[in-house]
Amino acid sequence: MQQIPGVWFSTERSKWFLCAMGLLLFIAVMSPPAPDAADDYAFDTSETDKKPYSLGGYMEAKPTLFALDRDAALYKTRFYNRDVSNPLGEYDFTLQLDAGVEWSIFKAFTRVNNTLDYTYDGWSSDSKPYEAFLSAKPSPSLTAAAGKMTAKWGKGYAWNPVAFIDRPKDPDDPALNLEGYYMAGFDFIRSFDGPLKTFSFSPFLLPVDHGLNHDFGESGHVNVAAKAYFLLWDTDIDFMFLTGNSRPDRFGFDFSRNITTNLEIHGESAWIDDFRQNKIDAAGRVSETEIDAWSGLIGLRYLSSIDTTYILEYYHNGTGYSESEAKDFYTYVNRADDIYVNTGNAGPIEKAANLTQGAYGRPNPMRDYLYLRISQKEPFDILYVTPAITTILNLDDRSLSLSPELVYDGITNLELRLKGTVLVGDSFSEYGEKPNDARLELRVRYYF
Amino acid sequence: MLKILLVLVSFGCAASAYAIDGGELLEKVDRHLAPASYELYRKLINIEPNGSKKEYVLFTVKKGKDMVAGVFLSPASEKGRSTLRLGDNMWLYIPNVGKPVRITSLQSVIGGVFNNADILALDYSDEYDVAGLEELEKEYVLDLKAKTKTVAYDRLKMWVDREKVVPTRIECKTEAGMLIKTLYFKDTQDFGGGFVRPAVIETDSPLYKGYKSVMIFAKLKARELADEVFTLTYMPNIESLR
Repeated sequence: MQQIPGVWFSTERSKWFLCAMGLLLFIAVMSPPAPDAADDYAFDTSETDKKPYSLGGYMEAKPTLFALDRDAALYKTRFYNRDVSNPLGEYDFTLQLDAGVEWSIFKAFTRVNNTLDYTYDGWSSDSKPYEAFLSAKPSPSLTAAAGKMTAKWGKGYAWNPVAFIDRPKDPDDPALNLEGYYMAGFDFIRSFDGPLKTFSFSPFLLPVDHGLNHDFGESGHVNVAAKAYFLLWDTDIDFMFLTGNSRPDRFGFDFSRNITTNLEIHGESAWIDDFRQNKIDAAGRVSETEIDAWSGLIGLRYLSSIDTTYILEYYHNGTGYSESEAKDFYTYVNRADDIYVNTGNAGPIEKAANLTQGAYGRPNPMRDYLYLRISQKEPFDILYVTPAITTILNLDDRSLSLSPELVYDGITNLELRLKGTVLVGDSFSEYGEKPNDARLELRVRYYF
Repeated sequence: MLKILLVLVSFGCAASAYAIDGGELLEKVDRHLAPASYELYRKLINIEPNGSKKEYVLFTVKKGKDMVAGVFLSPASEKGRSTLRLGDNMWLYIPNVGKPVRITSLQSVIGGVFNNADILALDYSDEYDVAGLEELEKEYVLDLKAKTKTVAYDRLKMWVDREKVVPTRIECKTEAGMLIKTLYFKDTQDFGGGFVRPAVIETDSPLYKGYKSVMIFAKLKARELADEVFTLTYMPNIESLR
């Protein structure tokens, strides 16, 4: 039994949490769909009455089964000193609570994410505010806010190289909520007649000090970020920057435009000055180099006449590793694992494990990727069912992940998703060296 | 004597037909359906072939010719999702995703037969020219042609109640004349402020056999709004307008 320090749950509370989640999900799943009443068009306008407060959120259960690859480099960095079963099961439960209060021009909002997980490490739980802020809107042109917030910059679906003050998205599940950072800022909006229809300016102050935003970057600084938005000639255009000393300075732009009634294109471009990249060579020598990095994304979203949606994106990650740099890392991991197996010396493999965190082990750590998602709404007239297939292709080493999924949302407020993922790649390739070859997950989510 | 009378009546009818301007009639239809700037609540119901339903409640504001914004109030899974239309540009803001994404007019944010162009509809006279006008005993029949290629339906055939000057039925067609969907306007009600209009729009489509979608209108009233409300940056705050 492992407890993460500072967690909200005790062991006993974890059990109650789990029981409550199970019961509510059972009730949700067993709830019958709305009765047949096709000609009953009643609209009770009391449904539209506004309350000064709001409470909502979702609960989720997600069991996952992993088919492990015991020869993979990232398996070795994670499991070198323990024996785990294969296939390996994991159970994740989430309760996300959203609460808001409005008074006059003021609003308070919080989104708290509570998780309870059963992994190879045993039970663990966590509770943290993803967002918690106060805002004031003295006029439609001006909104000021302070607290823990997400900015969500960028137009890309799977990646956002210009999201300078957000945590990175997981391209495997880009629609997931993200935890914000503590900051203060405002939105100033102006509308015009003519080719420039809208201009808005959104500056933020993001302090990193006294434990606040400690994982953003170097402590002891107040960072400044801003975004200017233009709706010009029916095209969304943003220019943004981040400066301060917690992270290297960076600036960029993005755009999005509808080409036809069923085709949208978008793109992002970001430049980072003096980005510090940690590398390890095949002999285990760690070095830090400074590079001026450029990252970019270009993509489209297309809806066919039979309701098939295509999302295609190409992403160049200027802060990523080349194929040979990644190969050096995997070579070192294999050597370090051999040393551990033969001598019991865990030092080298622990060094590799440390470099995995936030560097070689982060989602899409290399340079060039292609993302394709194809989803079909209600094929063959099967109601409420949306199948989709997603692939992320590493263009550098030609490894890939392939994820077919099936979503059912036939019951109001309930969403079921069955998703499989197969990772394909040679040795020393990104997806070939992931800790698992395949996984299967069921996500049951109930909104309230 | 009878012949002379018939000739006179015929001339009279012809003269009255020429007196009707199709463009003016279409603008009159628009103003009878809603003020130029307004707020409105709607319930959208998707009815599946097996009779099961999915319901959505949407608060909408509109200003001028080409600005429409809305936010979903229910069900819980959709609450807080907001939509914005500025002319041919449309966006969807999903609170979980957190940023507005562009959507296209032929997509549907709620599924069902209504697409985004139906849900975020502009005035007909802003998107269509009158290509033909026919007078029936109780109705006018307007043949409408889209002003640009970016309009969701290239042609509309609109039946208009002569007395109330509101549509009773609209057929939406492609450029080649293929029927995409039919809108049926029903249950005329007095919304106050001089607006007596159909409170229910039903739609079906040969492309979605067995499916039906319904839009019910409530609390329609004129409202002045700032232009800045109809911007991407304001989308997370649309519910504060209620």
